[in-house]
Amino acid sequence: MSLSLSGVTVTRGHGRTRTAVLRDFTATFPAGKVTALVGPSGSGKSTLLAVAGALLRPDSGAVDLDGTDIARLGDGERARFRRERIGYMFQTGNLLGALTATEQLLAATHVAGAGTRRHRARAVAALEELGLGDRLRHRPDQLSGGERQRVALARALFLTPGLLLVDEPTAAVDRSQADAIAGLIGDRTRAHACVTVVATHDPAVVASADAVIDLDSAA
Amino acid sequence: MFLALREIRAARGRFLLMGLVVMLVAALVGIVSGFTTGLGNDTVSALRALPATHVAFAPGAKSDQFNRSLVDASTVARWRERPGVEAAPLGVTIARGTTDRGLEIDMAAFGVEPGTFPAPPVRRGTGLDAARPGLVVSGKLASDGVRVGDTVTVDRLGLKLPVTGVTDDLSYGHVPAVYLPLDAWRAIRFGVPGAATAPDRLPQDVSGVALRARPGADLAGADRALGTLSLPMSKVLEAAPGYKGERVTMTSIQVFLYLIAPLIVGAFFAVWTVQRAPELALLRAIGASRRRLLSYTVLQAALVVAAGTVAGGALALATGLLLGAAVPFSLPAGTLAGTLAAVALVGLAGTCLTLRRVTTPDPLTMLGAAR
Repeated sequence: MSLSLSGVTVTRGHGRTRTAVLRDFTATFPAGKVTALVGPSGSGKSTLLAVAGALLRPDSGAVDLDGTDIARLGDGERARFRRERIGYMFQTGNLLGALTATEQLLAATHVAGAGTRRHRARAVAALEELGLGDRLRHRPDQLSGGERQRVALARALFLTPGLLLVDEPTAAVDRSQADAIAGLIGDRTRAHACVTVVATHDPAVVASADAVIDLDSAA
Repeated sequence: MFLALREIRAARGRFLLMGLVVMLVAALVGIVSGFTTGLGNDTVSALRALPATHVAFAPGAKSDQFNRSLVDASTVARWRERPGVEAAPLGVTIARGTTDRGLEIDMAAFGVEPGTFPAPPVRRGTGLDAARPGLVVSGKLASDGVRVGDTVTVDRLGLKLPVTGVTDDLSYGHVPAVYLPLDAWRAIRFGVPGAATAPDRLPQDVSGVALRARPGADLAGADRALGTLSLPMSKVLEAAPGYKGERVTMTSIQVFLYLIAPLIVGAFFAVWTVQRAPELALLRAIGASRRRLLSYTVLQAALVVAAGTVAGGALALATGLLLGAAVPFSLPAGTLAGTLAAVALVGLAGTCLTLRRVTTPDPLTMLGAAR
């Protein structure tokens, strides 16, 4: 899996209020490494994740994911790419309120049309691997912030995506949980050999990353 | 199914409440339908049982024809001569009587010629006989206590008629039907209390002429030639007193319920969709297709509407059983199934009002930049 962005520009607004969030951005993200995106709020970290994750089409430029320019794909094709090739871990609201921790992972297979029953044992194993063996039947409102983020990480990696996109993973957890999550992201990235891009303000996450892109200076 | 069932399980209180509302709407529609059918039967079941295709009335009678119309004997005779048509005289009037055991009864008296097609089949006893006076009563009167062998005295006239048989549960204008020979009917219709008038001195008119027309029979030509107005049975039912008004009233109630049901279901799912907008956005972000979001929302709606509708149907049936014979209520399986299918369909149609919102969540809202 490889991810490279070349000449990506994203603007917001119309007419006089039109501003560039990303301007002619070019970068390549290596597999098996964690790349941290840093910069002040509004510098385009989340926008870059959205473009790389086929959630947002750039105004111009190419987003090459394993040989496919996903910036040129239609809505349906981008949705297929998201469910088959990309794992997401968002800042908050990662989990579906009605589902247990195990079912959160099975939801990913359900969305991918792969059924759920035969994946249950693997889902349990994935959660146990992240230290959530005693939280399998817990719903999001019964989990701590750190546990919720770990479930989200397990779901993001459950279908072994080539690209893992993480948005402010430690924003809503305490220091010790943040360190644990940063460590897990690095471990899983290396174990799955996936391309991982993390947007963060957290120095601990930046310190544990293999590469850092400062969007403030990139702009 | 995976997400639909788990969301229902997690929000079972809300779905139960919605199911209860659907159940009550379905029960109300079912009960109204039962009353519509029951009242309809109570008004025109005797006419529906008439094995005729048309009835010819006097042309001047524009409404309540059985009461207003009078057709003379010569016109009946000329109808009988028309090709392609089987004709028989028919008289209808409302009367009261008392049995020899002191039971007071109301009667929709149908005067017929024994042996002609309007004469009713009997379930018990014997049918009408041209040679002797007699009365075949509706099963409803038998349920009220009238027996074969009783003698019914027609109020004010003193005319005595022995009950010879019992036919089906037929009625006309909410009054149980009785069938009697035309001479006796004319005595009730034209007789003057206190004056014993010989049958041959009474007017030989009847209310109308029951017709069995073969395809292609020229009824319009016959009407022009004989000075009558032939109406098909669907129109003849409207000649029963109150039938049209009842139908309009009950149908209006049903129509309003069919309009209310989708709005209730639609409102629930609209609120439900707004509440879970962040989760729909998450599902879109992780790659769920619009089709999948649509199908699982429709499945949830279908489950709630189906369960509520079936429970409502059961409640309507139970209400019918509880009411028993106290009120005119009839809810045959076919009517109930049709009614419930209509409720389910309009309920699902209500869900469609919310589907656009289900398929257009913005996955970008999951990212910090959009918060």
